[in-house]
Amino acid sequence: MIERDVDIAIIGGGPAGLSAAIAAKKSGIDNILLIERNESLGGILNQCIHEGFGIEIFGEALTGPEYMQRFIDKVEQLRIPYMLNSMALDINEKKCITVCSPEDLIKVKAKAIVLAMGCRERTRGQICIPGTRPSGIYTAGCAQNLINLKNYMVGKRVVILGSGDIGLIMARRFKLEGAEVLAVVEILPYSSGLPRNVVQCLEDYDIPLYLSHTVVDIRGIKRVEEVVIAEVDEKRRPIKGTEKRIKCDTLLLSVGLIPENELSKMAGVSLDPITNGSIVNENLETNVKGIFACGNVLHVHDLVDHVTLEAELAGESAAAFVKGELRNESNIKVTAGKGIRYVLPHLISGKKDVKFSLRVMYPDRDKKIVVRDGERILKKIPRIRINPSEMIQFNIKKEYLKGVKGLTIELE
Amino acid sequence: MKGSSSDFIIIGGGIVGCAIARELSRYEARTILLERESDVAMGISGRNSGVVHAGFYVEPGSLKAETNVLGHRMMPKICHDLDVPYREVGKIVVAKNEREIKDLYKLKDNGDKNGVKGLRIIDREEIKEIEPEVEGIKALYSPTSAILDPFLLNVALAENALQNGVRILLNTEVTDIKENGSFIVKTNRGEFRSEFVINSAGLFSDKIAGMVGIDRYKIYPCRGEYHILDKNRRHLIHGMVYPVPPREPGGLGIHLTPTTDDNIFIGPSAEYIEDREDTANTKEVMERLYSEARELLPKISKKDFIRSFAGIRPKLIKPDAKKPEDFVIEESIDNFINLIGIESPGLTSAPAIAKKVVEIIKRKKRLKKNRKFNPKRKAPVRFSKLSDEEKSKLIRKNPNYGRIVCRCETVTRQEIIDALKNPLGARNIYGVRKRSKATCGRCQGGFCIPKIVEIMEELSNPSIDELTLKGNNSRLFIGRTKDLRKND
Amino acid sequence: MKKKFICIICPNGCEIEVRYSEKGIEKVSGNLCGRGLDYVKKELFSPERSVTSSVEVRNGSLPLVSVKTSKPIPKEKIFAVMDEIAGIEVEAPIRIGDVIVKDVLGTGADIIATKNVDKRNV
Repeated sequence: MIERDVDIAIIGGGPAGLSAAIAAKKSGIDNILLIERNESLGGILNQCIHEGFGIEIFGEALTGPEYMQRFIDKVEQLRIPYMLNSMALDINEKKCITVCSPEDLIKVKAKAIVLAMGCRERTRGQICIPGTRPSGIYTAGCAQNLINLKNYMVGKRVVILGSGDIGLIMARRFKLEGAEVLAVVEILPYSSGLPRNVVQCLEDYDIPLYLSHTVVDIRGIKRVEEVVIAEVDEKRRPIKGTEKRIKCDTLLLSVGLIPENELSKMAGVSLDPITNGSIVNENLETNVKGIFACGNVLHVHDLVDHVTLEAELAGESAAAFVKGELRNESNIKVTAGKGIRYVLPHLISGKKDVKFSLRVMYPDRDKKIVVRDGERILKKIPRIRINPSEMIQFNIKKEYLKGVKGLTIELE
Repeated sequence: MKGSSSDFIIIGGGIVGCAIARELSRYEARTILLERESDVAMGISGRNSGVVHAGFYVEPGSLKAETNVLGHRMMPKICHDLDVPYREVGKIVVAKNEREIKDLYKLKDNGDKNGVKGLRIIDREEIKEIEPEVEGIKALYSPTSAILDPFLLNVALAENALQNGVRILLNTEVTDIKENGSFIVKTNRGEFRSEFVINSAGLFSDKIAGMVGIDRYKIYPCRGEYHILDKNRRHLIHGMVYPVPPREPGGLGIHLTPTTDDNIFIGPSAEYIEDREDTANTKEVMERLYSEARELLPKISKKDFIRSFAGIRPKLIKPDAKKPEDFVIEESIDNFINLIGIESPGLTSAPAIAKKVVEIIKRKKRLKKNRKFNPKRKAPVRFSKLSDEEKSKLIRKNPNYGRIVCRCETVTRQEIIDALKNPLGARNIYGVRKRSKATCGRCQGGFCIPKIVEIMEELSNPSIDELTLKGNNSRLFIGRTKDLRKND
Repeated sequence: MKKKFICIICPNGCEIEVRYSEKGIEKVSGNLCGRGLDYVKKELFSPERSVTSSVEVRNGSLPLVSVKTSKPIPKEKIFAVMDEIAGIEVEAPIRIGDVIVKDVLGTGADIIATKNVDKRNV
């Protein structure tokens, strides 16, 4: 066994981990270790070969690999130490990480830890789709990896459950490589993806979108042969008599992402049941002093640009913690009010500028996001269009937070 | 393959067939096991709760009771010799009302008659001590009820049999059997001649029996659906928690069974179906399993489900029959031994059934002991179960132990390689799953399947047809990424 | 003739209705700015798309390199371009920006690599 002492350990070498590492280094910390379980850095961006990354950060619409390379190059240039093929198995409450690597089992004692593990996909088993268990059922990310990285085409007649961006991007991917996409099925009465993706991934290719529908059966003994879809009512229950059978050989599931917080739980970090990510303060510090979280492991993002900015804050905070400069006075609670699904951070000090991130519960138009402290209204942000699938972010300067007792963010 | 001659042909590589194979390998004999699927444990043996029953459900004096009790006694040593996990976690059968309490006493009485040790009726206080999360007024406590991993056991029995000289042929389906002094067993891969045939074909045992004119047995498929709970709920129960069995002879009621990998099974249900191969889950039963499980354990929620599956019982009784049928373990015609209707407690009974089969054979044929028989078989390493020091030592010797492939179950690259290089020759995702537990976690293979495929490529450069989920046309892919456009 | 578009230029996502004939556009309504007007003009008469895909690699540490068109191409040529790149193999090493195909099918757009692929360790 090897023992290693580091100032900052960063678990995950995807976009969040990379940016946190760079920010920590730029803040003056050298003894950093970036721990990545795959064979290369970049995380999920390795397989996101479509465009749309970096519009905010670089002013360009890059592909995933191009975006990640800019940060990987920076990590190399700054000589930030990293380990590949290395997976954190355990974190104890003393911030000691057990890492399994091809070299040995390594005990990494860190002064500060940045959690950047990303998320996993919701599975068929978790949503209890009835039917058989043939081959040909894939979650969207798994299929994306196989098609874009492993050079395997998973099927030629595809039905996709879930119209979020991942499902839409994969619909287009299948069409581009010559497969048929017979239907995209969405349980909500609206698509949960960006309008641009509905246009460029479904309408461009005449792929039928079945809103308020779900998959109620899967048939096939060895390989998928058919799926049955049905319309659902307001309670999202299938309506008898509306079943439609679609012959296909592949069912792609794009039914949600879940932050991967098993390690966080081991370290004693408290989680928010709505986001499935850590409860954090304005420095992105969790309830365990010196453990920070950022990226998809904290809450699922739509734009990688936001991940990058969030991770920079986490890296800077971790560096400040190591230098003894992080003042822990975040005890003003931030509450998600009417119409708001969640708000981050959960706690603020009132002494620092804060960037808030939130998601609304339902799509709507011409609404205002209201920030209030009791009866006193601090800010009103008007939005023409709001959508649960588009994260909303806004800043409040510390001058406005003076004397605040508790914040509620709600819709008006 | 034509004209090859053996002493024994075993049809079916489930738990019973492989237990018989191992038992026969104690003797000098040419034994072949024929299995139609791409691996062992693909039928009923791969779709059950993994329970080693103590023997209080079964009717005293029946073959079920005799083999259950003997099998239960034999199991700990067998698991030890074969290096597979066995856990005596105990079981409580919980009564919620007066009528059910009466049934508890009947079960205890049954158990006492069958010679089960340690059974006792416990009250509410003791229920809370043993199982704090469970609601009930009285329960039957069976401390010697146990759990094991049916996949690991089935594979281990087969590997030990192979090690001791049995030939095991996968992907070999019996299509007909002719009698001509000895038996000529026709398969999709040639003909095999044998003095004895042992029919342990599970759900198809009635059809196999029919091939030699034994038509009196008919299997009525009875499906049981299950949910599997995430490991992070393991702490909700200590051992098995069952309700009092319903009075209709369909099944045993909805159970909560922990597994040796720390998941919890909810189920099985019991529905008679038409198609003996239809292992689908249905909406109605999945809902019912959930609500009935919550009656026993209110803290369960749907977001703890990681997977659902179904198994099919090979019942010999009609759906409207009043009492359960017994196992058929008989030499129906000369040298043709039938094992039919081996449903619960089939897993527990398997080693005892194997002994009975050998007894039947010994009445007809002298068996000479195999001096080279080795009852022991070493399992491949389970990295996740090792201490930190053991892990470190392994990695330093072999860096493939330092690379995690299945991150939900902490399965390393070397374990995947070992699973793919298994001595039986099963090379597909389910084969890897059974042996290494990769893909069994909460992401259900979402992350590790691409990596497992990569390792399969490195080891044997398989064709598209050979990259399957579970053998036989369950192809994972239709070709390479560019193939659809290339073939335009 | 009438057609509705959702403009994708900015997050407002205006729903723009266009009335047109063979002679050209007659009326446009629903757009909040001039960029929306430009967008629907292009979409109606000469829609273009950027295309991202992958190309097979020879002797690389990865079997595929991800690629993109250097600029948007006419929408109706997408599948033809996909057929064209399906048959290509590129020799490793490859760097981001490498031109895999120059002026693919006369569109004026190149197919360029978007990922670094090293030579395979033998």
